Amino acid sequence: MLTEEEARRYSRQVALPEIGVEGQLRLAAGRVMVVGLGGLGSIAAYYLAAAGVGYLKLIDRDRVAVENLNRQILHSTFDLERPKPESAAEKLSRLNPHCRIEAVHTAIEDSNAAALLADCDVIFDATDNRETRQVLNRLSLRRQVPFVYGGISGWEGMASTFIPGRTACFSCLFPPHAETAKPAPPPVLGPTAGIVASIQCLETIRLLVGCVPQLAGRLLRFSGLTMEFRKLQIDRNPGCPVCGAPAG
Amino acid sequence: MSVCIRITVNGLPEEVSPSATLADLIDRFREMDRDLIVEHNGRFVFPQDYASTGVAPNDRVEFIHPNFGG
Ligand SMILES: [Zn+2]
Repeated sequence: MLTEEEARRYSRQVALPEIGVEGQLRLAAGRVMVVGLGGLGSIAAYYLAAAGVGYLKLIDRDRVAVENLNRQILHSTFDLERPKPESAAEKLSRLNPHCRIEAVHTAIEDSNAAALLADCDVIFDATDNRETRQVLNRLSLRRQVPFVYGGISGWEGMASTFIPGRTACFSCLFPPHAETAKPAPPPVLGPTAGIVASIQCLETIRLLVGCVPQLAGRLLRFSGLTMEFRKLQIDRNPGCPVCGAPAG
Repeated sequence: MSVCIRITVNGLPEEVSPSATLADLIDRFREMDRDLIVEHNGRFVFPQDYASTGVAPNDRVEFIHPNFGG
């Protein structure tokens, strides 16, 4: 049951037939691990908390730096040098006291990933590099938890939802290889992050309320230069060294 | 001498050998990104199939660079 305050708080989305009171209660029971609280994570954590997702685990190893502030709108000039999870948790608990926030200031690696995931229902990728995404992919497959990928670069971004056992995995698309040199951080425009993270949020909400995710097995690409969205079907790769899809 | 065929690469018309494979095109267009995604006539191509996938007249090939920023 929603309290009277909750019924009012969420009334505009409860009005959606795909959500309703039932869906809202599922959101309240939902547990999402948001990895990265930068450009994507700022938007993601804000929308998920506002929508009434009951529990957010916020993970980031960084502290707020001034060059983050063109896009990482969860943090402000007053937060410089603060750990990002702590800065984020403060705003989110003010936004929605019904949302339980756990802030973890750490780097996620294979060694701690399973413990960090605990019993979260969705892995929300808001990281800024390929290697951490490989960690999240392995975690997703090992624990059979959906992995909502999003990435941005300049005016462009892409997103996909990986469902273990059902769709391609991140490594079907990007087979692991040893990185020769750490790539320089790409240029990023705030609104691009906003668009991609918002799409990931829609997918996450769909997953939590039990709607079919629209980007399962599909890669959605957005270009802010042409204002075009394009979708590409991604099948499981029979040669994937990570999810080991059987041939055929 | 084989006659070149016309295909579209990244939205632009190109002339290539009728025996060209996707691997050849990646080479020719100097696509060095190891995380490159190749779309061939609207379909995603697995990297292990680049060398064995040929092109036909009017095919469309897109080289997509991954976005890994956040
Ligand atoms: Zn795979």
